[in-house]
Amino acid sequence: MAAAGGGGGGGGGATTSGCGLKRRYAPHDQEEETMNQDQSSKEDWCGRLWNGMDLLKDVTENKHVLPTGLEGIDTLLGGGLRQGQLTEVTGPSSSGKTQVCLHSASHAAVKHMGVVMYLDTSNSFSPSRIATIIDGTNDLSDQRRFDLPHKERLKTMMRSIVCKSVFDIFGMFEVLHQLEVSLLNDKVKSGGRKICLLIVDSISSLLAPIIGGKYPQGRSMMISVAMILKKLAYKHNLSILVTNHMVSAGNGAVKPALGESWKAVPHVRLVISREHGSNICTATVLKHTLLVFPLAI
Amino acid sequence: MAHETPGDDFAYDLRFQVVKVMNQLVMVIRLCQGAQNAWDMLSDEQSQKHTTTGSGDLNDLLGGGIHCKEVTEIGGVPGVGKTQLGIQLAINVQIPVEYGGLGGKAVYIDTEGSFMVERVYQIAEGCIRDILEHFPHSHEKSSSGQKQLQPEHFLVDIYYFRICSYTEQIAVINYLEKFLGEHKDVRIVVIDSVTFHFRQDFEDLALRTRVLSGLSLKLMKIAKTYNLAVVLLNQVTTKFTEGSFQLTLALGDSWSHSCANRVILYWNGNERYACLDKSPSLPVASAPYAVTGKGIRDDLHTNLREVDATEQATIVFLYLNMWHIIHSQINTVIREKQLQGGQLPIGMDNS
Repeated sequence: MAAAGGGGGGGGGATTSGCGLKRRYAPHDQEEETMNQDQSSKEDWCGRLWNGMDLLKDVTENKHVLPTGLEGIDTLLGGGLRQGQLTEVTGPSSSGKTQVCLHSASHAAVKHMGVVMYLDTSNSFSPSRIATIIDGTNDLSDQRRFDLPHKERLKTMMRSIVCKSVFDIFGMFEVLHQLEVSLLNDKVKSGGRKICLLIVDSISSLLAPIIGGKYPQGRSMMISVAMILKKLAYKHNLSILVTNHMVSAGNGAVKPALGESWKAVPHVRLVISREHGSNICTATVLKHTLLVFPLAI
Repeated sequence: MAHETPGDDFAYDLRFQVVKVMNQLVMVIRLCQGAQNAWDMLSDEQSQKHTTTGSGDLNDLLGGGIHCKEVTEIGGVPGVGKTQLGIQLAINVQIPVEYGGLGGKAVYIDTEGSFMVERVYQIAEGCIRDILEHFPHSHEKSSSGQKQLQPEHFLVDIYYFRICSYTEQIAVINYLEKFLGEHKDVRIVVIDSVTFHFRQDFEDLALRTRVLSGLSLKLMKIAKTYNLAVVLLNQVTTKFTEGSFQLTLALGDSWSHSCANRVILYWNGNERYACLDKSPSLPVASAPYAVTGKGIRDDLHTNLREVDATEQATIVFLYLNMWHIIHSQINTVIREKQLQGGQLPIGMDNS
C-alpha cells in the first residue's frame, strides 16, 4: 500500500497502480524516507532474505498460540490458534461455529492478549453471549453480578473486542484495506494494545452469491481475499479464524463450501458437527500443516 | 529528478499528495470505520425492546420476543400457524410505546396470498382488548392514546406488498432499502413465505443458491442499518438422510446458513409447539402456544397439566369419570325401579 514505499511498496504498488508510476518509486526514496523514518525497520523486515535460523528464532519468539478456551478444540489445534496462520472452522448449520468464534474472542479478551477484530456477515455477533461467556455463568440477570468493580472489569475486557458488520464482498475488501493501512502505520491502539486476532464469521456467505455460474470473477475475488488475509496474518503476526459452510456433495453427503481452490488456502481446517437435539459437538481435523493426527477427537 | 512529460509529473505529485493525505486520515480513523466495541453493543442491546409474539411462553423461548437488528426464520408444516404468527407480529409491533411496545409500522410481503384482511382486523381487535385489560388506568389518562387504539389505525400502519413471481420478490427486496429510507418508523418486515416462488420453476439450483444468498445478505444489511426485525416464514420439505425421510425446512442446506435465528413450529399430538433450533445467544428449547380467535396466545391447557405432572391429571380424569359412572348407574337404577312400578327411596329422584 502507499505508506510502505521503497522495496516493499514496489511489490504492493504494482497491483494498484499502472506500470507507468512504478519507475517513480526508486528516485523518490530519499524524500519519502524523511517522512517515514520509522518505516525503515519494517521495510528491512519485508525486503530481506531469511535463513533457517532466523525463521526458527522468529517462530519460537514471536509466533505464539492463542487458545480458544474450548479444551477439545485447543487439543486438536495443538494449543490453539497459531499466530501468522489462517484457521478455518466448517460445519453444517447450527453446529456451533459461531460459538467457537465467540469463545475465542472472549478468551482473548479475558487473557488480555490484545484487541480482537470480529467481522460479522450474518448478524450473529451477540454481545450478551460474550458477556455470559466472560462471566462464566449462565445467568446474566443475576443482580449481584452488576456490582461496580465487576462491571468495570467486564467493561475493559469487552472494550477490546471490536465488531464490524460486512454484507458484501466489496465491503470486505474495503475493511481489509483499511485494516492494512492502519496496521502499517502502527495506529492500531484500542486501549494501548495491538490487534492479535481477526475473526471472519462467515466468509462463505459473502462469497456464495458470486461463486459459480457464468461469473468468473467470483473465484478470483475469493483468492484475492485469501491472499490479503494471509498477508495480514504473516506481516502483522495475527491469528485469523474463518468460518465456512457445508454444501451438499451428492448422495446426501456434505462437503465444505467454496470448492477446490479454497482447500489450499487455510493452514488448518476443522469440521464440527452436532447431533440433533444435544449440546455436544464433535470436531475433526481435515488439514493441519504442523501436526499429524491419526484420529479425530 | 527528470520527469519526462508534464502528465507524469502531475500524476507523480498527485500520488505524493495522496500518501500525505492518507497518513493524516489514518490518524483519524481508529481501527476501522463503523466498528463498535462489544461493550457499546451490549449497552445498545440491553436498551432494545423486543416485539412480543402474544404468547408469554413463546416470548420466553425467544428471549423476550423477536429481536430487532436480527433475521429470524420461522418454518413449519402447513396449517400450524405461520401466517397467523406473521400477522400477529405485524400487529404487535404497533403497540404504542406507553403500553410497552415498539410503536412502529410493519411491512408485510405476501407471496402466497394468505393475508386475510378480516383476520387481521380480528387480531387487531383482540390485541387492543388485551392492552386495555392490562392497562385499564393509563388508558383513561391519555386521551390521544385512546384515539390511536382503534383497529383501523393498526391496519393503516401495515404496508402490504403482493408478489407473484421470484423476479418480483428480488425487485421488492432491492426496493426495500429505498422504501425504508423514506419510512423510517418501520420496525418489522415479514416475508410470507420466502420459499414459495423459488421452489417451482427454478431449473438451475446453483443459480437459486446464489440468488438466495444474495437476498439474505441484503435482508441482513437492512435489518442492521434500519434497526428493524426481519421475519421470514418458510415451508417444510422431506429430506432423505440416514436411511429415512425427515422433515426439514425448504430451500436446502445453503439457505439454512443464512439466518441467525431459526424457530420450527410443529404439532405434538393436538397441540402446537415451537422449537428454537438455532440462535447465537439462547439455548435450544421448546414452548407450546395456541392460535385463538384473538391471535397467538398461551396454550392454557398445557399449563394446567404441567403444574402437577400427570398425577393431578389422572386424578381429575378419574374423578370426572367416576362421577359420570355413578350418575349413570343411579339413572339406570331409577329407570329400573320406575319400570317395575315400585316406590323410589327418598332423594333418589332426579333432583
